[in-house]
Amino acid sequence: MSLWVDQYRPRSLEDLHYHQELSTRLKSLASSGDFPHMLFYGPSGAGKKTRITCTLRQLFGPGVEKLKIDQRVFLSPSKRKLEINVVQSNFHIEITPSEAGNYDRVVIQELLKEIAQTQQVDLSAKQRFKVVIINEADSLSRDAQAALRRTMEKYMSNMRIILCANSTSRLIAPIKSRCLLMRVAAPSAEDMQTVMQHVSRRVGFDLPPDVASKIIDDSGGNLRKAILCLEALKMQSPDLSGSLTIAKPDWETYCQKVADLIISEQTPARVMEVRQKFYELLSHCIPPTVILKTVADRVVERVDEAIKADVMHWAAVYEVRMRTGSKKIYHLEAWVVKVMSLYKHFFYGMDFD
Amino acid sequence: MSVDFESEFPLLGDVISRSLNRTTIPSTSISSGPPSTTIRATNFDGKTLYLRRKPATSARRKLAVATQGRHVGNLLEMPFHKMMEQLSEDKARELSRELDQPDHALAATVGSDSSLWVDRYRPRTFTDLMGNDRVAREALEWLKQWDKCVFGKTSQGKKRKRDGEEENYDVNDPHQRPKQRILLLSGPPGLAGYEVMEINARPIVDDRIRPTLETGYTVKSTKPVLIIIDEIDGATGAGDNSNTFVHKLVQLTQDKPQKKNRNQSGDKRTILRPIICICNDINASSLTKLRPHAAQLRFQKPADIHTVKRLREICAIEGLKAETRALSTLVAVAKGDLRGCLNTLQFIRSRNEEVTESVVRKSTKGMKEADNSVISALNSLFTPMSKKRAKELGLNDEAEARYVERLSHEIDACGKDSAVAVGCFSHYVTLRRHDANFSRYEKANEWLMTFDSFSSAMYNDGEFALSPYLAYTLVPFYPLFQERGAPRVERSQEDWDNLQLTKTNEEIYKSLNRCLQAASTRHGGDYRHLANWPILQLELAPFINRIISPQLRPINGQHVRPDERVLMNRLVDIMSNLELRFIQERLEDGQLTYRLDPSSDLALSRYAVRHLVAQEVDARVTSRHTDIVEKGTTGKHASFFRGAKGKSSSGDLADEDVLRPPPGKRPRTDAFVADDIADRPPTDFFGRLILASTDNKKSKSNARASNRSSTTNASTSPPKFNIAYKYKEGNSAAVRKPVKVSSFL
Repeated sequence: MSLWVDQYRPRSLEDLHYHQELSTRLKSLASSGDFPHMLFYGPSGAGKKTRITCTLRQLFGPGVEKLKIDQRVFLSPSKRKLEINVVQSNFHIEITPSEAGNYDRVVIQELLKEIAQTQQVDLSAKQRFKVVIINEADSLSRDAQAALRRTMEKYMSNMRIILCANSTSRLIAPIKSRCLLMRVAAPSAEDMQTVMQHVSRRVGFDLPPDVASKIIDDSGGNLRKAILCLEALKMQSPDLSGSLTIAKPDWETYCQKVADLIISEQTPARVMEVRQKFYELLSHCIPPTVILKTVADRVVERVDEAIKADVMHWAAVYEVRMRTGSKKIYHLEAWVVKVMSLYKHFFYGMDFD
Repeated sequence: MSVDFESEFPLLGDVISRSLNRTTIPSTSISSGPPSTTIRATNFDGKTLYLRRKPATSARRKLAVATQGRHVGNLLEMPFHKMMEQLSEDKARELSRELDQPDHALAATVGSDSSLWVDRYRPRTFTDLMGNDRVAREALEWLKQWDKCVFGKTSQGKKRKRDGEEENYDVNDPHQRPKQRILLLSGPPGLAGYEVMEINARPIVDDRIRPTLETGYTVKSTKPVLIIIDEIDGATGAGDNSNTFVHKLVQLTQDKPQKKNRNQSGDKRTILRPIICICNDINASSLTKLRPHAAQLRFQKPADIHTVKRLREICAIEGLKAETRALSTLVAVAKGDLRGCLNTLQFIRSRNEEVTESVVRKSTKGMKEADNSVISALNSLFTPMSKKRAKELGLNDEAEARYVERLSHEIDACGKDSAVAVGCFSHYVTLRRHDANFSRYEKANEWLMTFDSFSSAMYNDGEFALSPYLAYTLVPFYPLFQERGAPRVERSQEDWDNLQLTKTNEEIYKSLNRCLQAASTRHGGDYRHLANWPILQLELAPFINRIISPQLRPINGQHVRPDERVLMNRLVDIMSNLELRFIQERLEDGQLTYRLDPSSDLALSRYAVRHLVAQEVDARVTSRHTDIVEKGTTGKHASFFRGAKGKSSSGDLADEDVLRPPPGKRPRTDAFVADDIADRPPTDFFGRLILASTDNKKSKSNARASNRSSTTNASTSPPKFNIAYKYKEGNSAAVRKPVKVSSFL
């Protein structure tokens, strides 16, 4: 038995609950017989992958749901073995090249060439081409993207590529121009409400709308998170009654604690304390950019109107630097010190000038 | 002359190079023909030019070869090989002249200057040693322990074996050698080597041979040998490779005497001679294997007074006038490095100067830095130079205030910029200096970030041209944070600890990821979207922790309310799908707990509840295993009886492979089940749970969920018992056929 997230995932374009105009467009594209390369982008948990699988089903019929998962081994130029999980059906193949780290170019090249050079075997297939889905396309290295761009043109007759990314900013322009861009926006609160009611109906219980809206508030437009949260809640208190506390992920509460620490006191000792907490978060593999963003959000909530913009501005500046650097903790702490200084200046402004 | 030549030659070259693309006549005429007085050349207009040439001297010719040879190529007036000959002749003549000269010069000045003072004043006997009395005595003691082994038998000389007397002796008396057969001497340069050479020259040792250790174990000579290996920290021993030098050395010492007894004439011989190793850095990575096997002696820097006294004696012998003050300055600057002092003195002597303080200052400018650890670099970043040291270096206030070059040099010299940066990072917050508006902190962080972006540009993008700037980005910590009397910087483990912790957690997430992959294989790709990297940590991990820790009452499995049973079933389903297990463990205080594997967990549920869940999960897994076994046997039956080979059986085997949890898990779960079979909930013959209630629900969910748990389905609905199971249409290519239960009972 799967988790609800997977169990009640819509399988076809008709089943989708929101972004109806996008669904109709995808449907007409799939039936037009002239299917382009595509790039789906949008925030996490908005339903990109769901839409991709639905589109595939529209293209090839229910046969695409017969999946086979295996591990392929590629050799890096330095003869290191790279293991990549490949999900495939008779009509498509799905890879996450970022699993190979720096050697994603090898994976992209070998796999795509192999697929592109073989024709569709199944004569009864609806389409002449196969589809390659590339997940996390925005973490592809520059080399891999460059390798992709030639392939996309050369093997157009045999293959279509569907890229899935969070944002287009890290994709090179040639790739973007070769794809049809599909933005999947985060669902609105009403959309999420309907989806969650649908899920609860399918499971077989009544979801009070206020509970649902509480979960939705917390999830920040991430439907996957909302449904996971719902399931956790249902497991914790099966009858969904009484005073329910929507539990946030631990790292989020931890980040909020850090933000409160920053606001409440600005001393070297406090800097030290915050550093400990950052270390703790980093060691649990929480991406540093996410940490910075979450803490900054919370800080902005709590500080005075006058310095909100500054806090955010510096968070952005330090995040950019963090991406270029390698010791993340330096940048996190630098931001903390900056914010503390801003806060102090704001409060005791007269004393320093 | 040369100016003349310079001004003339380019003209020629110019002209020729211009005409080269049209005609090659001039070049050939020049290179092949004999030297003539004019050179003919043609310019672009086809006009012929005649250039007069001046008679060339050998010096000029040489210059021509050196400067223009490449351009003119075959345009030389003299064949190339001749020129080379002449050059070599010149060189030979020059060399012979040089060889003659020093003899005269030396004979004329002081005959004794031909040797280095360092060698000349090397201590000859044990009593010449200076400082470190205790260490020296210990070394001697250690050496004396060998006496019985080395000399005891030689005098008597009975029962000689083929290999010589040492071997014989060793067989009889294995314990007469000191336990540790290698002596490892360590200390800063200029101290250790000096004294060890002295021990070496002791009269005990009749013969000084340093055999290469790779070739021989004991050198078969009639005279005993002491082996000294100098600079062993530079040896190749860091790797795990078994044929490194240090490894061989250790092997050499570890040959057991009793082994010797068994094969007397064996080709392996134990060592019977002392080995002394000398190194500067005892913590060098190449020595890690050697350290446990060696007796270690560490030399300390002798007191400055001793060194000064010694220097004064030497000066007296050499007839060098020296002020005591100057000598003590010298020792202080050199930080007790006697070799360095002696070299400097000899240098001063060679210029026939007196040893005064200013002379010493001048000649010790480039003296090497002795102690270059990360910690010392950090300390000089965070504390100003002590007055004493400043005086020793002869810096006035102004020079002392100029810190940038000094500090950047020091950081560079220690060679671990990133370690220094980490040290700065962990130390600056602990300082007590008042910083009201955090401006210094901001600046410090600014510099740290600059350092980080430089170094990552260096190491990630290969921009190694940036490396000279790295040290300078850390220097600003000095003006920002230096303080007299600040606490000494200590090595901070925080960053390292954090790194280790991160690695552990990454492993945990990786194994969770593997579980998800396995689950998605089993469920037609259902879990695969959750296994991606940031989603796994940010969304799945926290919620799965909650999902698998519902509030259950800790009671016996049979007395549960129906709704709790539903909850429990779902929990067990999820856990067995994701291959999450509760593993029983005993804590340090003897208490039993259940640990979630593979995940770091928050211990949300109680022991009893976990116990219950663990049992159920194990039961579920076991039932799945029995399924596999049944299928496997039917597959064989089918192929055996009906000759339907190949397809069905191979399909079944493939299924079995997919379903089996990773190796290593299975024995453990089985053993666990066998352990407390008494208090397990009742099961039927196949080890499946007998579930009283919620049949409809369960069968419905089962029909949705898994293709292969259909046996459970059948067992929970007894009326349909005549068909044991059938293959459902899944993604496998298995053949569907009904099978009677009686066929495998």
